Formats: sequence, C-alpha cells, structure tokens
Amino acid sequence: MASGTERRFSWRGRPTTARDGETILEALAHDGLPSVVRSPRYHRPRGPLCGVGQCTGCLVRVNGRPNVRACRQVVASGDVVENGNAWPSPRFDLLGVLDTAFPSGIDTLHGFRRPAFLTGLYQRVVRRLSGYSGPPSPEAARALASAPDVRTATTVIVGAGPAGRAAARALVDAGERPLVVDRGLRVPEVPGAELLARSTATFLPPPSADGGWAFSLVGFTEPARGFAIRARRVIVATGGYDAALWFGGADRPGVVTADGALALTPAPGAGPLRRAVVFGGGDRAATTIDRLHESVVAVVAPGEIRPEVVRRASDLGVPLYPRTLLRSVTGRRRVRSVRLESRGGGAPFHVECDSVVLAHRRLPHPQLFFQAGARMRWRGGAGAYFPELTDAGATSVPGLFAAGTVAGVVGDDVATSGERAAKAALGAPFDGPAPRWIPADGPAELEGYYRELLGGPRPGRWVACPCEDVLVAEIEEAHRAGYRGVEVVKRYTGVGTGLCQGRYCLPETLLTLARLEGRTPPEVGYITQRPPVHPTPLAALAALREEFAGEPAP
Amino acid sequence: MTFARGDYRVVVVGAGIVGLFTAYHLARAGAGPILVVDRGFLSNGGSGRNGGGVRQQWETRSTIRLAREAVADYRRFSSEFGYNIWFRQGGYLFLADTPTELARLQRVHAIVRAEGLPSEILDADGVAARLDGLAPGAVVGGSYLRSDGTLYPFPAVWGVYEAVRRLGVEVALGVDCRAIVVRDGRVAGVATSDGTVATPTVVNAAGGWSGEVSRAAGLEVPNVASRHEILATEPSKPFLDPMVVRASDGLYFSQTMRGEIVGGVTVPHPPGTARGVPSSPRFLTGMAGALVGLLPRLGALGVLRAWTGFYDDTPDGLPIVGADPRLAGFVHANGFGGHGFMLAPAATRRVAAAVLGEAVDLDPAEFSPGRFLGPAAPTTVERLQLG
Repeated sequence: MASGTERRFSWRGRPTTARDGETILEALAHDGLPSVVRSPRYHRPRGPLCGVGQCTGCLVRVNGRPNVRACRQVVASGDVVENGNAWPSPRFDLLGVLDTAFPSGIDTLHGFRRPAFLTGLYQRVVRRLSGYSGPPSPEAARALASAPDVRTATTVIVGAGPAGRAAARALVDAGERPLVVDRGLRVPEVPGAELLARSTATFLPPPSADGGWAFSLVGFTEPARGFAIRARRVIVATGGYDAALWFGGADRPGVVTADGALALTPAPGAGPLRRAVVFGGGDRAATTIDRLHESVVAVVAPGEIRPEVVRRASDLGVPLYPRTLLRSVTGRRRVRSVRLESRGGGAPFHVECDSVVLAHRRLPHPQLFFQAGARMRWRGGAGAYFPELTDAGATSVPGLFAAGTVAGVVGDDVATSGERAAKAALGAPFDGPAPRWIPADGPAELEGYYRELLGGPRPGRWVACPCEDVLVAEIEEAHRAGYRGVEVVKRYTGVGTGLCQGRYCLPETLLTLARLEGRTPPEVGYITQRPPVHPTPLAALAALREEFAGEPAP
Repeated sequence: MTFARGDYRVVVVGAGIVGLFTAYHLARAGAGPILVVDRGFLSNGGSGRNGGGVRQQWETRSTIRLAREAVADYRRFSSEFGYNIWFRQGGYLFLADTPTELARLQRVHAIVRAEGLPSEILDADGVAARLDGLAPGAVVGGSYLRSDGTLYPFPAVWGVYEAVRRLGVEVALGVDCRAIVVRDGRVAGVATSDGTVATPTVVNAAGGWSGEVSRAAGLEVPNVASRHEILATEPSKPFLDPMVVRASDGLYFSQTMRGEIVGGVTVPHPPGTARGVPSSPRFLTGMAGALVGLLPRLGALGVLRAWTGFYDDTPDGLPIVGADPRLAGFVHANGFGGHGFMLAPAATRRVAAAVLGEAVDLDPAEFSPGRFLGPAAPTTVERLQLG
C-alpha cells in the first residue's frame, strides 16, 4: 500500500482501511470490483456503473445516512459504512431469488390485485422491499446540519473542466474575479478565481426582472452545506458524461461507462478492471484505452473505428470489431464474456472479459439551461438537447452563457469555447474561430443500431432503467398498450424516475420510442430532468429557508 | 379531422381523472357516442401531478359522503379496472400546532363522527406515536382517520382511460378546445384545434383550465387557477404510514409505496402566475424547512425532483358540479381545488346524472353552478384545503 495517512472505517462491521483522501469506492476497490448494492426490484447484483456520482451502482449507508454514493464520499476515520438492501450480504442476498423466480418480470401495474383479501399483505411486503436503504437516522441528519453559504459574484462559472477553466482565465485576464463552482472531489485551483469545490449547483431559476443580481443559484457543498449565490452572469460549463447502452445483462457488475473506468483505474493498467472490452470507436474510446492500457482485451464499436483507436489497439495487439452489435454479457456476480454479432446478420461469437467499458457516446449536462428557461434545440448529430446559442456563445436568456460540451460545438477545442463564452459575457469581441455546430438534423447514430439489436434475440435480462429495474420489455409493452411520447411512457413504466434522474435510461428510451412511434426523437419528447440537477439534501435546502422566504414568487 | 364522427351525444373537455370518470359513468349508462378531448397528453394536468391523497375528513357532510363513496370506489378499483393503484389506507393525520388549530380540527372531527366515521382526536403524544421522529414541541395535537389513504394516480388514469375506450368512448389527445358553439341559447358543438364537432352537451372537466373553457362559452365563472409546487425525495424503507397534513401552513406529505416522501407546502403565488414556470427556490427551501422542522431525520434525505401543477379553486372551496342554468347543455365538473382525484369517482356520478337529466343528490347551495349567481353568492371561505 502506498504511503500516506491511513483512515480506518468499517464496512459491514469489518475494519477496513483507506488511504488519505480516498473515496469509499476507491478503498473498497483495493480488493477488486466492489459490488455493494442489489437492484431494487429483482435484487440483482450491481456494481458501479458511472463512478461520477450519478448512478445507483454504489449506494451505501454512511453513519446512518442512506443513499450515499460510495464514489462521492471521501472516507473519514471512524465512518460506519453499511449496505442497504441485501440480506445477509450484497454478495449472497436471499432475495436474489426474485430474479430467477420472475423471469418475465414483476408487473406492479397489473399484478398483486387478487385475491382481494391479500392486497393488504401484498402492500406490506412490496413496501418493505422498496428503497435501497433504511430511513435516515436522526443522528445522521443532525450531523449534516450547517449554516448556509450565501454570497454574491459578478460572474459564476459552473464547471471547472477545460472549458470552465478557460472561461475563468479569460475573465481573470479582464480583471474580474469569477466564482467557479465544481462538483469534483479533486479540483485544482484556478489562479485569480474563487473556487467552490465539491459543490453541486443544482437549481438555476429564470433570472428575476429586477436587475442587480439577476440569477439565484441554489446548491450544496458536500456533504450538505446549502449555498445560494446571487450573480449577474452565469457561464454553464457543466460538461458531459458517458451514456449507457441497452443489451442483455447491461446492469451486471463489470459493465461500466468510460467515466466509471477512468474513476476505477488510478493509473494505466491498475485497478479492478483486468480484462476489458472497450465499446466505442472515437475520442473517448482512445482516452479509455490509454488509461486501461494492457487491461484492454478487445475494442468493439457500433460503427466504424477511428484511426487513433485502431493505432492504439494494434500497439496493444488487441482485436478490433467495428460495426458490431453487443447483444449480451454472461456472468452473474461479474461479467465473464460478451456476446457479439457483426452487424447485418453475422454469426454470434463470444469474447471473454471481466468488464465492458461503454465509451461510444458522450451526452451533455443541459439541466441548468432548461431550469433557467433557455430556448433549447435538438441536435440529432449528438442525440441530445443543447441551448440555442448566438455565434458569440450567448443563450436566449440574457446573462446566461454556455461553454464546452454543453454548447454543442464540434471541431473547436473546449478551451476556445470557454474563452468565447467569457468574451460574450464581458461583451468583448472574440477574435478566435467561429463555432461549428453539431448538426441539428440527421438521425442519431444509434437509431439504426438499436433497430437491428432490438429486432434480434434477447438473451438475459434487459434492464432499461437500472435505478428502478424497469425492463426494456415494459417500455415496449407501454407502446403496445397505446401510450405515446416519452412523458407518458415515463409515467407508465417509471423509467427515468430513479436516483440517476433519467441520465442512464431516458436517452435510450427516447431513441427506442422514436423507432416504435415512427417519429423523430424531438417529436417524441424532451428529455428534461426536473430540478434539482442532483439529489439535494433537505438539510441543505432547509438551511436556506430564510434566504428565500421573502422572495417574490415567479 | 381526426374524429371518428361529426356529432356526439356528449363532448367532455379534459381527459384527467374527472373527465375520464365522467365518460365512464356516461358510457356505462349507454348515453350514446362520447368524445373526450384534451389539449395535452394523458396525465399532463393535475391528475398526473398530485400527491395521491384520498381522505374523508371534510368540513361538510355532503363532501364527507362523496369522499366515503370515493374511498369505496377506489377500494374496488384494482379489480374493476385491471390496474393496481396501490390504494393503501394508512390514514390521514392532521396536525395542530396551536390550540386554535386543534379546536378547528375538533369541530371537523365532530362532523366526521356524526357521519359515522371513527376519526380520533390525538394529543401531542398520540401524534408522536404515529409520527416516528417527531420534533419535540412541534404539535399540540391532531386528528386521525385510519380509513383515509393514498394511491398511485397514474395507474388510475390508465385504468379508466382503457375502460372508457373499451366502452367505445373516443379520446382525442393533443386536441385543444377553442370555443363552444352556441345556437339558439344552447350548446350546439365544440370548435377544436382539429375541427368542429356537433354536440348538444359539453362537460367542462378541464381542471386548472376549466375557467378558460367556461369563459370560451361566454360564461362568467369564479374559477381561479392557482399554482402549487410539490417535491419527491429519494426513496427509503417505510417509516411513515399516514398522509400528514398541517393546515396552518398547508404542509402535506406521505411516503409512497416506493419509499419516496412526496408532498408540498403552500407558497403564495399571485393570480395569473404563468404556466410552465418551473419550481421556485422559495418553495424548495420552504418545503425543506417545514419537513425538517417537523421530522428532523428527513434532513438526511435528498430531494430527487420537484414539479408544479394547478389547482382549480373556487371562492367557497367546494366544487362546481351540475348543469349551468345560463346555458342549456353546458355541464360543470370542475372547481375541485386540488381534490379532483379524491372525489372523482363519486362526484362524476352526479355529473353523469346531470347530463342525463336525472335527479342529482347534492345540496345545490354547496355544489351547483348557480350558487355563485345573484346576491346570495357565497363569500370566500378558508377550508381544510390541502392534502
């Protein structure tokens, strides 16, 4: 073990150690890929999917607080960490029998109605099984209470990635001291700017008309300190995340997004992913291969594989499978192989592996634009919504700007995009290149992929929404029953209503419904996540009550 | 023209739970061709945005009777409609934080008892026994009725929607009712965004939009759409059985079958507040403060999402049910003030009766559209409006 102070904590009653600054997930990953939680309905083994605090693959209970993401919580000495919903343990969970006992799914919409005299019993049992964890303890809530952080800033930049940092630098050069808010656990300082790290800007209401501090940004600093920032201008540079993919067993431990693979792999070739199949043929796949290095066993892509990925794969001597369907994975507690098929009707074949890394599609985090009431536009080239922007980088909301991934530009390095947004915010001319937008029309790349994939055999359990264990078949059933549009299907099936707030299911649902309904994705509906952007502790919001008590209603 | 016919016996405006149940009762009575139009998608309005509470503790005997009937309907719903609405009778717990509030609950309790329902008055300890983790000194007492409960609104909408379609009712979604065609002083048709259909009868079941629909028929009505916000937390294992309501600030919340805490609190919104406006920081922080003040342990739960909806309010806090005396063929099924879901199955039987010209067993002073006409119109009354 490397040098540095050790932190002792308990995991399921057993003494465990973490290096200073490590998260619970990183500490547990010393012994291999952690599988700390079971799925809510079928009690399937689950592992971390995203590693960036969005999915439900590493939920634990810490010091009596439920629904803590192990990847977001830095270990403190004496922490008591427990699993929530498995008995006797996440590894051997007796309720795992539900997965095999209901091969075609548990139908809570139509089932559990008969005989009538048993409905009370059904309700008690189903209710007892709900949720990932027991209720919060009073002590946990007390420990989270803290005075709110209330401040003002001329310009707030949300996101300290390359684009946000470039915007901050440009503002600093112009003599401003911007406030940069970032969710990350390890965010480097931005010289000349003020940094609010480990902080999630979660709600950005439309600007008020009374001028002055037009924007109120509400959020929290971990673990639960509420903040309210009044600002004149906001630059949103929230970046993006790697999307999920539908296939049989896509929720198995070992299936991770590229975000997750990078979070779990501290150095090239290290970490719990030892034999990884990388899915994707572009930039993100290249980045992933650089980190996983000799742990990569194959590269599979839905379409063509770009030269930089081909070069890396041949350096490592691993096979390439372009234009290939990922149909399913085998393995129960851990991925053991992938079943692949060349597109256009090739024979199925297997590649042995212990993990599948999804690096095929990067999606933006546009929620703050939706919340602020900015006009949005579907860009089919990315299969996502982006704010409508002027060439200078301004949204339809005065004072609100976009930089980086969320701006929807291509062929433009994100730093340029950050600088452009800063100049727009300052009202200063920008002499860099004009933006090139991601094409607005044209089918999303994956539509054809899914048409072919979902038209074929479906081995294993196809979970569409891992947070709530909603199956792909349930979405198709909603369509067959006559329900149309993503909003209605969401209410009918529960897809998109879990803790990830739809990030890992609604993009795929939208593509599938577009195919089933014979409409374009924007006709099928918006993918709006309702506020807040991330689950926000009631303690943090409660502390801000006085701050907004006199606020006029919208 | 997307409609199957050019003329209908009845056109219902609004495919929420009130409009759908109205169509259901009418179709079962063999009323003839029925069309339901709605400008949005199914469950887009209040029927898809409420907290799912169903209670019988009301301040008037007639509303208690309607609510009792509705509870019986919802108990039967899952076997009758094929969808499980998970109607769970975990009780309604009204909280009093002052002796004055407790006295008010006692008055309601007396009326509820007089109707034969076994409601209870609780002291502070009695409330604490039903509310695990209650903050000390937060309440002086409360009232409780065990047979009140909560349900899942969505499957109720799907169940009635599919039932009316099986009965031959046509439901046109995404169709906006633009005007009511009036000829010779009576309803003759409805002009929609998809064309005009002929009908002698229009039922206005448009929820938060019903004032606009009545006005489109040239009728002055007192309905006011008021904006309300609601939130849901992350789920956790069950620890809260009843729906909890505090009348003094309009706080209400319950724990759903999935384990989320779902509820709201009254935040004043000026009339005419724009539709489509998202949640407000005032609500999010005010609701969080109210919840944590009452049950401190909730501080460690995260808010997962928040949304808004519209109540269809009337000055006296009671619905408007029945034929409008000013315009033959125009029937009201609105003004439910955020309680449409809990009263719908029972109240719409009376709407159907009014359409069919049958006797309606409701006190006209409390429910009729005519009560707002003339000098005896009821003044504004504050009622146990929430939950």
